[in-house]
Amino acid sequence: MEVFDEIYKRYWDRIFRLCMGYVNDHNLAQDLTQETFISVWKQLPKFRNESSVGTWVFRIASNNCLRQIEKQNRFPKGQLPSNLVEEKQTNIEPQIQFLYKCIAELPEIDRIIISLELEDVKQAEIASIVGLSEANIRVKIHRIKEKLTQKFTSNER
Amino acid sequence: MSDNINFKDIWAKQTSVAPNSEILISEIKKMKQSNLRKLVLTNLLLIATSIFIILIWIYFQPQLITTKIGIMLIILAMVIFLFAYNKSYSLFKSHMNSQSNSDYLKDLLAIKAKQRFMETTMMNLYFILLSLGIALYMYEYTQRMSTFWGIFTYAITSIWILFNWFYLRPKQIKKQRAKLDAIIAKFEMVNNQLNV
Repeated sequence: MEVFDEIYKRYWDRIFRLCMGYVNDHNLAQDLTQETFISVWKQLPKFRNESSVGTWVFRIASNNCLRQIEKQNRFPKGQLPSNLVEEKQTNIEPQIQFLYKCIAELPEIDRIIISLELEDVKQAEIASIVGLSEANIRVKIHRIKEKLTQKFTSNER
Repeated sequence: MSDNINFKDIWAKQTSVAPNSEILISEIKKMKQSNLRKLVLTNLLLIATSIFIILIWIYFQPQLITTKIGIMLIILAMVIFLFAYNKSYSLFKSHMNSQSNSDYLKDLLAIKAKQRFMETTMMNLYFILLSLGIALYMYEYTQRMSTFWGIFTYAITSIWILFNWFYLRPKQIKKQRAKLDAIIAKFEMVNNQLNV
């Protein structure tokens, strides 16, 4: 129980940002974060330190985001109350909004990779979360950052 | 090009208030219960029906072997349905989401393919066994009717079975297939991103 509380406190914001980068929808990201911690809570007794806690939690979170595909089929986007979300986001700096919007428009796996990178997760760890080689991750991060920079500079103009 | 945009700084400014962890845990327990309730209800319903049929057997003491075979086929159909239903529920339960994304996606694809097979094959088996069971079961009782009513009873039942087989069954299968296929296609698309 104490262990869970500690993970919960330490990772809530980080997981929330990962989910937010994936869906760019405040309510949905909140739900996904909650689901992630439900999984963490259920599986914690089985956790044997084969990987670091961070890797473990991020794996659960990113897999949960991937499962989102299934749920999207059940609730088409138009049916979600989107005005609620927009209201919440108006007080956020436009630059932050723009970054999350750009990331959520990337291919699914890229969203996860760049979110983890921006969260300061080590590249070796990202590789083990996603299941690609470190070299591969490095190349991908470089390309994604280039894409984001391009979008940002063309947005400024 | 200004390469020095500090994405990490912008990224970290997004925050969210974590709800109280106790609320979360009580939510988990509630969710677990509602999932379980549906499973238990379906099981109970079919088991109750099976018991009812067995009671008929004991109470009315059918004479012909066809009736007995019919009853067994009907029960078998329900058992198979329950087995498939419970199995597809547990497919996801045993499934680990703490593996890497690429392993997880492969797993999901395998599970979805299995689910697709089970839902269509089991559905067909269920229909065939149930129809056959009913047809055999009825034989003893229609024997006691006049020829006209006997044929009439079989005709009505056959129409009902045919309606199920040619209309309801394909519709149901098509609906499930379309749903599963859409999901599989998307998972495959994401999976392919890992191979580029």
